[in-house]
Amino acid sequence: MIEIKVKKELSSVKETFKLDVDITIKNREFITIFGKSGVGKTSLLKIIAGLIQVDYGFIKINDQIWLDTEKNINLPPQKRKIGFVFQDFALFPNMTVEQNIAFAMAKKDKNFLKKVLEVTEIENIKHKKPDTLSGGQKQKVALARAIARKPTLLLLDEPFSSLDLETRQKLQEELKKIHDEFNLTTILVSHDFSEIFRLSDRVFLLEKGKIKKHGKPEDIFIQEKLSGKVKLTGQILNIEKEDIMYIITVLIGNNVIKIVAVEEEIKELNIGDNVIIATKGFNPFVLRTM
Amino acid sequence: MNKIKGFISKIETSGNISIVEIDVDHEKLFSIIIGDREDFLKLGKEVFVIFKETEVSIAKNFSGEISLKNQFKCKISDINMGKLLTQVTLTWNNNTIKSIITTSSAKRLDLKIEDQVTAFVKTNEISIMEI
Repeated sequence: MIEIKVKKELSSVKETFKLDVDITIKNREFITIFGKSGVGKTSLLKIIAGLIQVDYGFIKINDQIWLDTEKNINLPPQKRKIGFVFQDFALFPNMTVEQNIAFAMAKKDKNFLKKVLEVTEIENIKHKKPDTLSGGQKQKVALARAIARKPTLLLLDEPFSSLDLETRQKLQEELKKIHDEFNLTTILVSHDFSEIFRLSDRVFLLEKGKIKKHGKPEDIFIQEKLSGKVKLTGQILNIEKEDIMYIITVLIGNNVIKIVAVEEEIKELNIGDNVIIATKGFNPFVLRTM
Repeated sequence: MNKIKGFISKIETSGNISIVEIDVDHEKLFSIIIGDREDFLKLGKEVFVIFKETEVSIAKNFSGEISLKNQFKCKISDINMGKLLTQVTLTWNNNTIKSIITTSSAKRLDLKIEDQVTAFVKTNEISIMEI
């Protein structure tokens, strides 16, 4: 059980507001913090990691207290068992992949290092230097390095947002596998709707420093309850008028589909919107692939 | 998307399939549902009946029997004729229903504003949404 209670005055470019969060996470849960830019998502991760100090805070990880401002307990970042992956890769350029990962380990453990390299599927590039790697490979190394610390808590701050869709999806799948394989408890900050649905057990919706809602992704994001059995989440790529109707182009996973709509429907929709595509189990054809 | 308010007046279930009857101003609409029924599908519950414009067929001077259970006796309030497709706006009691049919059909039926027509929607094309 992980308890996180923090209060801190935060100021963004536009305003000053209070981050006031009280969340409890079960061990091995995969949690996503979702919210607009500047609502305190990254600050919250940094507070958990001990990189930002708070006005009031209590963080208890199982039976270990990391932070208790009332009792003057405040473990430094290196004493908190945390793996942190940022949006930029932050690897040491002068070290090989393997050295980067080994450097993060509390004590040398060849077997565990081998397992990390295997599970994250980077054994074949372990002798390479970071600047010779692709973005996706670099982020895998960053993930491997975070896991090498044997963290109780894995913190991920939009780790895949700078990667292309295909690499992103592949890494999301691998992250799920890694999370399960190493029995991790993970807190992810993400904007990516499909990523959240794919990975999270629960989502915390953060608005101006406060948790507005939390629950399963489908309960948080699918507001309208529908009897339809086929529900897909996607993003609107385009809306165009065709004859008397409109054609909405939606990206679902890596498939682009086109959906017919009337004028009233498109009034509420914009390009870039995240949407649910719903239909009944009676309509789709099922065709076997090769 | 057509959206009409009503309340659930009957639910018939056989294994994984249910037929839900919705009362809209004393007329009955039907929706067929597969799998587990959602929590909000309960007798007496107010719900929206929703169906796509493209699933609404139109008949004029209709006589004889037809298998379609969802029948709406309507008056045409607007017609927007495109090159291939035509949007017909219908008034059904206090509700508005839109239908999209081919322009060639609209011409064949010689549809005009104020015409009395019957609109049809198949039971499997109707979904129920929580209010």
